[in-house]
Amino acid sequence: MGKKQKDLFREEMVQSPGRTAARNFFSRRLSIVGMAIFAFIFFGCLITSLVIPIDLTYTDSTRINLPPSLDYLRVPDALAGNIKAMDIGSTYGMGIDQNGKLHMWGTMYDTAAKLKDLPADMKPLKLIACGLDHASAVAEDGTIYSWGNDRMNITKINEDAQGKDIVDIQAGQWVTIALDSGGNLYFWGNDSQFTFRASDHQGSYKAFAINIATAIGLTNDGNVMALTRTDTGFSRVPDEVQGHAVAVASTDKIGAALLDDGRVITWGPTTEREQLTVPEEIQGRVTQIDGGRTHFSALLDDGSVVSWGENSFGQINYPSLTGYDKVIAGYYQNAALTSEGGVATWGQRGYLMGTDQSGRDVFTRLIYGGRISLTVGFISVLISGFIGILLGGMSGYFGGKTDMFIMRLGEVFSSIPFIPLAIMLAAVVSNRISDTQRVIMIMFILGFLNWPGFARLARAQILSEKQNEFVTAAQAMGIRERVIIFRHIMPNVLGVVLVSLTLSMATCLLLESTLSFLGFGIIEPTPTWGNMLNKCVDSTVIRKFWWRWVFPSLALGLSTISINIMGDGLRDAIDPKSNDR
Amino acid sequence: MLSYILRRVLYIIVVFLLLSVLLFAMYKLMPVDVVEMYTSGMQQEMTPAEYERYQEAFRIKLGLDQPIPVQYAKWMGRMLTGDFGTSVKYRRPVIEIIKSPMAATILLNAVTMIFVFAICIPLGISTAVRKGKIYDNSVQVVTILGYSLPTFIIALTVILLFSLVLGWTPISGMYTPGTQLTGFAAALDRAKHMILPVGVMTFTSLASLTRYIRATMIDALRMDYIRTARAKGLREKVVIYGHAFRNSLIPFITVLIGWFLGMFGGSVMVESIFNWNGMGKLLIDSITGADFAVAMALEMFYVIIGLVGNLIIDLAYTVVDPRVRLT
Repeated sequence: MGKKQKDLFREEMVQSPGRTAARNFFSRRLSIVGMAIFAFIFFGCLITSLVIPIDLTYTDSTRINLPPSLDYLRVPDALAGNIKAMDIGSTYGMGIDQNGKLHMWGTMYDTAAKLKDLPADMKPLKLIACGLDHASAVAEDGTIYSWGNDRMNITKINEDAQGKDIVDIQAGQWVTIALDSGGNLYFWGNDSQFTFRASDHQGSYKAFAINIATAIGLTNDGNVMALTRTDTGFSRVPDEVQGHAVAVASTDKIGAALLDDGRVITWGPTTEREQLTVPEEIQGRVTQIDGGRTHFSALLDDGSVVSWGENSFGQINYPSLTGYDKVIAGYYQNAALTSEGGVATWGQRGYLMGTDQSGRDVFTRLIYGGRISLTVGFISVLISGFIGILLGGMSGYFGGKTDMFIMRLGEVFSSIPFIPLAIMLAAVVSNRISDTQRVIMIMFILGFLNWPGFARLARAQILSEKQNEFVTAAQAMGIRERVIIFRHIMPNVLGVVLVSLTLSMATCLLLESTLSFLGFGIIEPTPTWGNMLNKCVDSTVIRKFWWRWVFPSLALGLSTISINIMGDGLRDAIDPKSNDR
Repeated sequence: MLSYILRRVLYIIVVFLLLSVLLFAMYKLMPVDVVEMYTSGMQQEMTPAEYERYQEAFRIKLGLDQPIPVQYAKWMGRMLTGDFGTSVKYRRPVIEIIKSPMAATILLNAVTMIFVFAICIPLGISTAVRKGKIYDNSVQVVTILGYSLPTFIIALTVILLFSLVLGWTPISGMYTPGTQLTGFAAALDRAKHMILPVGVMTFTSLASLTRYIRATMIDALRMDYIRTARAKGLREKVVIYGHAFRNSLIPFITVLIGWFLGMFGGSVMVESIFNWNGMGKLLIDSITGADFAVAMALEMFYVIIGLVGNLIIDLAYTVVDPRVRLT
């Protein structure tokens, strides 16, 4: 008071209620922050979900419950520049430097955490093989080490191999195969999902390749055979390969052989093979080849590298550099080595928010889940708002029997506890509808059960607005009733209803997530923030695999909090009592 | 007054009948063949013809061969005489199965209510009196968290904190499995298992109630009679509790009863997370297990609770506020 001389005429300037409300709203820092956070989440989910593709049916048993990290390709500086041997495991990598010392990088969690406990008294190493959660290494003197996850005989070394002149060692998911200079293959590990058979050509193997569930052998006379029995096309090696092969590689389902003329031939199940068609321009120029889960990487005769196949994690975005003399592929990662021991890596760097119990990326599901949760919340608010305002408006304006009937109807709807009724409704229609229909059904259930609140609000507002002189004036002028309701009364009611709509969006988000969490809302594989938490009520998950519930919870919590802050801000902005004037 | 109550009761009966038709329709629409559920165990031991006859006999025994309206009338008649049917899963009368979960739910909700009362009234009043101060603002922030966050997120967080990291409370369940405690030890064990569910429910309901009391108290404190009371030189305590709070009670009663009824529905979530064998968990289990006789009885209970609750709200108005007259 008295700080500034008030200008009488200025003070008389009339501002429309809408502008006053907007000015009030934006003068509060908290409401702006709330709006910014919500806008960030809302548009972030909408836009990012357009950019990132999602395959709802995707699962990967080698990628389950991985923690958030982006270090799968971070080869330590101490190793880069003097690499003797190197291999890539599931989420980590290991390399041996020129002194025979072992280096490791990447993420080793849960069952793979034991990889950090190296065997005691390790001698200088020459070969290394990395599996899902175990690793095997060969020392200069032929001693073999196998460590990591030691369940189901995974690290129980085949004693026949110990002390032999091992020239190659490779690891599958839970198995290890070693080749000695005499052409013999040695196998150890968990053979429950891996039917290995090498006895036919023992003594004449020249090379071999192994992946999660597949293995191929190559003999000294250039013949190729599958070492694992599958009923897919994997064991049917094409005849044109036989006698000409110089190297072999394998993905999860597809076998590949490099012929003496530099061409690559693949075989296996038809659909997967079509995805992995060898690029024409490299045929005849390949000198070395290796396979990841769903892609191949090859070294060409000019020292450059090429990757092809599926690109779900950027595993085929190879660098266009030359001067390499070895290429290594494993899972979704790649590395290329120079003869001096330098290294270049490409492929999957990790998961920003980890993976869930089916090996699915939590970040992708969070984005898509957000899109679905927010859309469901938004549309169900619109539905309940529409019904509520329409019925409440009628009830308030016409009064009498209409009012009585609508209000009693609303009472019936709101007197039943919401969650039990919604569960029952969802169960009735559950089994016979598609996933998309289910999403729509949830929107309508939420919308139909939520309208009485809006109806009551709209009715009360209209009742008080109806008393105003301008309505009497309009009626006296003979303006039609419909026009009076929608042109004269509604605009005055809308502000309050808008606040209520905003706040109710948070309620709808909560209800949808609650229903989905309980398994009666939107169900897997369609993600929502609620059903992402569905499998997380488990002491192991809560503590050990915290990223599976923390990130969806944060997203959901931040959304509802920011909506509520925004709604509170709007209410204060519209409420004439809170104006300073 | 009496005629008002009578009219309301009549109205409740009409609504109840309407809702029961709705529920029965849902029950009939359930995608499960009840006869199949009862008889499938015998399929191996009978020839197809025999099995068909067996199924038919069962259909007649359950009254499923009659027209739907007749089925409804019979079902309603049984409901009204207290016969809620037989659970397919437990092969026992529904009423027996519901008893102990109902007691568990009421225990959970009653204890929560005591805590909520004990905390939210003083908290709401003190924040209203200190409106705009740091104390008020920080309580506001906490309450926004309480009503914005879904119950299950709060539940997961407290499980992590108190059960897994600190190890103070059991993770879930109603008693320590494998123990045969009696008397005081059993009560103590039950109390330990109640800490987390009651805590979560208290926290989530506290938020909206505290905000509500604060808002009504602020309105009440603006009134002229408060100024009069202060002018008379009454002690601040008397002004706040005797004058302002009594007047802010009216809207609070509505919200409180509504909240208490909502809690029966809302405890579905808490019960399912903390494995509390109450009605909510029973409802979920019976619906997922296609045990619809139990589910229907529970839904009926929820409906009755809702309708009777509305009546109580209206009657409570007259008790706390003599200005309100029911006609």
